[in-house]
Amino acid sequence: MAERHPTSDFVVIGGGIVGASIAYGLAKSGEKVLLLDEGDVAFRAARGNLGNVWVQGKGATSHAYADLTRNAANRWGGFAAALQEETGIDLHFRRPGAFYICFSEEELERRSGMMASINEHATVRSEFETVGPEELRRRLPEIGPEIAGATYCPDDGTANPLFLLRALIKAAAGFGATYLPRRKVVSLCRDGEGICIETEAGTFHAGRVVLAAGLGNGKLAPQLGMTAPVRPVRGQIMVTEKVRKFLDFGTNFIRQTVEGGCVFGESSEEAGFDEGTTLSVLRETARRAVTAFPLLRDARVVRAWGALRIMTPDGVPVYQQAPGAGNVFLITVHSGVTLAPFHAGEMAVALRQNRLDPDRYLPFSPERFNVQAA
Amino acid sequence: MNEMVDLAIIGAGPAGMSAACAARACRLSVVLLDEQPSPGGQIYRGIAEARDDRLAAILGKDYAAGEEIYRRFVACGANYRPATTVWRIGPDGLSWISAGRSGELAARRVLVATGAMERPFPSKGWTLPGVMTAGAGQILLKASRLVADGAVFVGCGPLLYLVAHQYLNAGVTVRAILDTAPRENLLPASALLPGALRQPHYIVKGLRMIAALRRSGVRMHRNVRAVSFSGQDRLEAVHWRDRSGEYALECAEAFVHQGVIPNLNMTMSTGCRHAWDEQQLCWRPDLDALGRSSLQWLLVAGDGGGIGGARSAALSGAISALAAAHDLGRLDFTAFERESAPLIAARRRDMAVRPFLDRLYRPAQGFRIPEDEETVICRCEEVTCGDVARAVGEGCPGPNQLKSFTRAGMGPCQGRLCGHTVTETMALLSGRTPQEVGYYRIRTPIKPVTVGDIAGRIENAEQGAQHEQAAAD
Repeated sequence: MAERHPTSDFVVIGGGIVGASIAYGLAKSGEKVLLLDEGDVAFRAARGNLGNVWVQGKGATSHAYADLTRNAANRWGGFAAALQEETGIDLHFRRPGAFYICFSEEELERRSGMMASINEHATVRSEFETVGPEELRRRLPEIGPEIAGATYCPDDGTANPLFLLRALIKAAAGFGATYLPRRKVVSLCRDGEGICIETEAGTFHAGRVVLAAGLGNGKLAPQLGMTAPVRPVRGQIMVTEKVRKFLDFGTNFIRQTVEGGCVFGESSEEAGFDEGTTLSVLRETARRAVTAFPLLRDARVVRAWGALRIMTPDGVPVYQQAPGAGNVFLITVHSGVTLAPFHAGEMAVALRQNRLDPDRYLPFSPERFNVQAA
Repeated sequence: MNEMVDLAIIGAGPAGMSAACAARACRLSVVLLDEQPSPGGQIYRGIAEARDDRLAAILGKDYAAGEEIYRRFVACGANYRPATTVWRIGPDGLSWISAGRSGELAARRVLVATGAMERPFPSKGWTLPGVMTAGAGQILLKASRLVADGAVFVGCGPLLYLVAHQYLNAGVTVRAILDTAPRENLLPASALLPGALRQPHYIVKGLRMIAALRRSGVRMHRNVRAVSFSGQDRLEAVHWRDRSGEYALECAEAFVHQGVIPNLNMTMSTGCRHAWDEQQLCWRPDLDALGRSSLQWLLVAGDGGGIGGARSAALSGAISALAAAHDLGRLDFTAFERESAPLIAARRRDMAVRPFLDRLYRPAQGFRIPEDEETVICRCEEVTCGDVARAVGEGCPGPNQLKSFTRAGMGPCQGRLCGHTVTETMALLSGRTPQEVGYYRIRTPIKPVTVGDIAGRIENAEQGAQHEQAAAD
């Protein structure tokens, strides 16, 4: 079964949106890249994603993260256009702004306060509005009578995360990267100057390794002397049949796709690695969706599923270069869709230079968790 | 809070009805839920209704055999819930809806007896109105007693000839039968004939039927390949090839059939282990001889666990019910052995004909894996064979990533009508076995229910209150 593969300059471990973004960025700038992926059934956060390119409310505890998010979102249009040109795949990217729907006045007030406070610290501008119930009804005619209001941010957008993943892999391959699925990484070790990667089907050698394996980073990183504090957070999602167009904007928990189906879900559960659904959460999810948009009551649900999202202790990304040899990079993020232009752009450039600038990346170092613990 | 029963049975065909009888005999509390308004499943559809002798004659003796099972079932004391759709099952029980009402049922064991469905017939033009399955043709006959005059029957397998025969008996014109069973099947099948002759009545019945069709003078073509359907807005003609050339025949209705496969969505949604059955070319749940799945709470009986036909289904239903009773400590081992042994032996005898039938009517590859790039594989999302090929070319590792990348299997049928085609097509394109390629992960709801249904009673109550308010205004 062992498969010989020529040594690649870069091996990216993880064929999800994050790993594929990085492989795409590296390949596009001429690097020789191998992208290793698991098989058909894996924990894939891309499948548990609403497809929001989401700015508002991000970075409440880290203005560096707020800035990172805002810059990435601002680049999304050009990024999507380039990918479409390279692959012919329409990512369904739109940027009409999004509403964060609040079910009570207290929630709306808290939300506005939080957003204002982020804007005091972030250096990249992003405006928002607090929208009361009457104004909200004017802008979202199908909103339910019980909704108290929303915060609106024009910088938010939506895309199809599944088409994004397909386009990234296809484009990376188009620029010469090799994509190998069914190569779940079993173990990693240093091997002279490089890294030896043992997978379920073959062993590979790399000059440099990018760990972008999502939840898998938790086990892989320590094998190379790093730590990836990451835990699964389960979200239960459902999608309806195609219904008439009523929602052009993004919202925090429901998106109407270009095809017409509505994807919604907002649960955030500590359920270990259990990907299942539970009746109580599905029921609550359905009730909130109907409260927000009563017309959904009669829409037929086609599928409901659970997906594991990748969460760091503070929700802020972890970017780290291995100390010493420095040829291993750890990338653990929650928002692979929003940050895709950053991973394919600035991050790929830093990887090629073999240097994550300590000043720039200090706010994203996992060291911050040790400091907090002390 | 919720109801709790010993055994919840889903499906009121021969397997489900027999299971209910056997479980009740062991004094288990039993609820049987079924989508149809009356018992019988597909094979004995409409068995409870009064029929005139003429229809009974059309449907034949085997259909009448269902009446005995039906009579025992209605007397067995199971709580029978017709017109009830189960949309979720799990270790904690199941969720159902019925005529706007919904609820949960907790059960110590769940027995899935959801039967078989027809194998998809992916070919050019198969989505045109007027192209129906032979099974749908039979439902027309059994339920509404409407029949299509001058239809063309295309495909292979016992059901195709049975329905054509029933149409002839009903006095309806059958335009032609296009038999797609490949000539190459004959030799390997004949080697299996001695085993099959242990159950000669199946063979005799089949031969009689085919002889009757021949005598009727119906136009018959054998070794038919490369079938396609054409028409503007609906079916106008069927096209095919055989050794002697290319043909076309005008028709408004075509009944297609390539055998039956287990109806999988219910068992697949539980995550119990499934395996690819190379003999029957389909997925089926991995079961022991008593119908127990890889999950302790779940049993499967009848064609949903592998195709065996109505008699075997009835026997397997009873066997599984005994196993459930034994596992729940309600039937001691001696009694279990004594009662189950003759049923198991009878089922083994009845199944003796399967290897022969499976081999004889093994659908040719061209009818399972489309040869034409433009052929639609996923009808719900209009994904073509070419779309699948392109995704495989990009390295797409299996059906679930394919679903993400192309939307195949994302529609309301949850892959029922494309799952097998996708598995086999991806296997062929990537040089792997169907087992390695895998199948779609099937999700709740197993049957489409509305957001309001899932939101449940509280939502219903609010809705009711609003309606009252509106009425008051």
